[in-house]
Amino acid sequence: MRYFLQRLGQLLIVFLLVSFAVLVVMRLGAKDPQQLAQKMLGAPVKPEVLDATVAKYHLDRNWFVQYFYWLKDLLSFELGFSQANNQDVAALIKPRIWTTALLGIYANVLGLLIAIPLAVRQAHKRDSFFDQTTSAITFVGVGVPAVVLGILMQLLFVVRLGWFPSIGDKIYPWESLTGHLENFALPALTLSLPVAAIYTRLLRGDMSTTLQSDFITLASAKGMSTQRILWRHALRNSLFSLVTSIGTNLGALVGSAIVVETLFDLDGLGTLLIGAVLSRDLFTVQGLIAIIVLLVVVVNLLVDMAYALIDPRIRQMRALG
Amino acid sequence: MTDTQTAAVEAVEAPSTTKRKRSFKWPTPSVAFGAIWLIVLLFFTIFADYLSFIPYPDDKIRVNGKLMSNYKLGPGSLAWFGSDGNGKDIFAQCIYFARNSLQIGLSSTAIGLLIGGTLGVVGGYFRGKVDRVISIFVDCLLAIPALVLAVMVVSRLDDIKESWTFLSWMTRKWQIILTLSILSIAPLARIARAQTLSLREREYVLAARSLGAKNGRIILKEIVPNLIPTMVTVAFTGLGILIAAEGALAFLGLGLDESWGFLIEASRRRLEKAWWATFFPCMMLLGTVMAFNILGDRLARRFDIREASV
Repeated sequence: MRYFLQRLGQLLIVFLLVSFAVLVVMRLGAKDPQQLAQKMLGAPVKPEVLDATVAKYHLDRNWFVQYFYWLKDLLSFELGFSQANNQDVAALIKPRIWTTALLGIYANVLGLLIAIPLAVRQAHKRDSFFDQTTSAITFVGVGVPAVVLGILMQLLFVVRLGWFPSIGDKIYPWESLTGHLENFALPALTLSLPVAAIYTRLLRGDMSTTLQSDFITLASAKGMSTQRILWRHALRNSLFSLVTSIGTNLGALVGSAIVVETLFDLDGLGTLLIGAVLSRDLFTVQGLIAIIVLLVVVVNLLVDMAYALIDPRIRQMRALG
Repeated sequence: MTDTQTAAVEAVEAPSTTKRKRSFKWPTPSVAFGAIWLIVLLFFTIFADYLSFIPYPDDKIRVNGKLMSNYKLGPGSLAWFGSDGNGKDIFAQCIYFARNSLQIGLSSTAIGLLIGGTLGVVGGYFRGKVDRVISIFVDCLLAIPALVLAVMVVSRLDDIKESWTFLSWMTRKWQIILTLSILSIAPLARIARAQTLSLREREYVLAARSLGAKNGRIILKEIVPNLIPTMVTVAFTGLGILIAAEGALAFLGLGLDESWGFLIEASRRRLEKAWWATFFPCMMLLGTVMAFNILGDRLARRFDIREASV
C-alpha cells in the first residue's frame, strides 16, 4: 500500500509537470492574448469571440494562472473549444477514444497470445532450428517501422488476397461484429506483431533463466511431466518482467497506433492528433496530448499494481521496505 | 536479453584462450548484410551525382518522348524501381533522399548524445539533488509517447519560428533534427546514468580520487572514456529508431518532402496500381533501420552490454 501511494504520487507529479510543460509549449510565441486566443481556437473568429475566449481561459494572465484554470477545467473534462471543428475538444475526443483503446487492447492480447507459446517452446528447445529462426524473426519484428509493416500487410492482405477493404471504417463491436472485424483486424494485427516480437524476446530470456533454477531441476527429478513444468511452474515464474514491459512498451505502442490509424484511415485519437497538429488547432492538440499522457500514466500504474499483486516476493519486499 | 546465454558462453571461454590474439572470424550473414547495406548506401548517396546509373531525382523519365507520369513505368531496366505519379525515377529519389535520413539521424544522435550523455553522467556521478532533478526531467520526457512528443515539438517549432525572428535560420530539416534530438535525450541520459552509477564505484575512480583528482578530471578522464563503448552501441540502435521516426514524421506529413516516408505517403493509395512506388521506399527504410539494429546488436554482444535496446 505504501509502495502504491508512493508510485501514485510520483506519477501524479510527472503528469502535472508534463501537462504544464505542454501548456507552455502550446502558448509560446504569441504576441498578445488576442493572438493567443486566435491560435488556440485554430480558425478565424470575430473579435468579440476572441475577447470572450481570452476571458474564459484567462489567457491574459501568466502561465501558472492559466495552468491552474486549465487543470480545474480538466477535472470536469473540459478541454477547450476547437473552432476548426466547431466542437468542444472533449466532444471530439470521446467518440474516438475507443478506436485507439481497442487497438491497444487487441495489440497486447494478440501479442501475448503469439509470444507466450513461441517463447515457451524457444526456451524449452534452446538453440534448436526453431529457436534460431524465431529469434531471427523476432529481431526483425522488434525493429520494423510501423509504416513499413502496415504497407506490407496491405500489399499482402488487401491487394494480393483481397481479404479486407482498403479503407477502414470506425465500426465498433457493439455495432456490428463482422464489420468491426473486417475493419480492425488488419490494423490490430499490424500493431500486434512488433509487440509480440518484443514480448517473445523478453519471455525467452526470462524462461531460459528460470529453467536453470533449482526448483525446476527438482520438479523434473521427481518426475513431473515436461509440459507441466514448462507451463505451470516455469512460465508463472517468468511472467513478471513481461507484465512490466506491457507498461513500458505503451508509449511506443501509442506511436505506432498513430501511424497505423493514419495508414488504415481509422478515425481514432492518432488521426485526430495529426489533423489538429496540421491545422494548428491548439486547444485540441493540448487537450489530446494531456489525455494521452494521462492514459499512459494510469495504465502504467495499473500494471505496477498487477505486478505487485502477482509476485508475492515483491509484495513482501515492499511491505518490508 | 536473448544474448545472456551467448554472453555467458563467451565469458566462460574467454579465459581459456591464453593467447589473446583475436583470430579473424567471418561475420555472420546478418552482420555482413548490415555492413554491406550501409557501405553501399553511403557510397551511393555520397557519389550519387557522379554515378551515371543514378538519374537526378527531379528529372522526369521520358520514353520515346512520352512522359512516364502516373506510374506508367514499372520496375525494370529503364527505371530500376519504376516511376512515380509525376514520372520521376523512384530509385533516384530513394538514393538521394537517403542523404536526408542519414544526415538527420546522425546529427540528432550526436546532439542527443551530447545533451543526454551530459545529463546522465552528471546525475549519476553527483547523485543527490542534481540527480533527482535530472531524473524527474527524464521521467517527464519519457511519460509522453515518443511520436506524440515529436509531433508536438516539430509542429510548435514551425509555428514559433514565425513569431520569434531569431529562430528564422531554422529550416525544416533543422526542426526535425532538433525534435529527434529531444526524443533521444531521455533514453540516452538513462543509460549514461546507469553506467555512471556503476563506474563511479570502480577502483580506478577511487585511485584517481585518492591521488587528489578533481571531479571534472575524474569525469572526463575516468568515467567518459569507459562510457564510450556503451554509448556507441546504443547510438547505433538509436540511429535506426531515429531514422524510423523520421520516416514516420514524413509519412504523417510533418517531415521533409524529400524523404522515404513522404514517398510512401505520396503513393500509398495507389498500392493496387503501382506497388513499386510504395514498396521500394519501404524496403529502403526497413533495410537501413535493420542494418543499424544488426550492427548495434553485434556491438552489444561484443562489449557484453545488456538492455541496450532501450
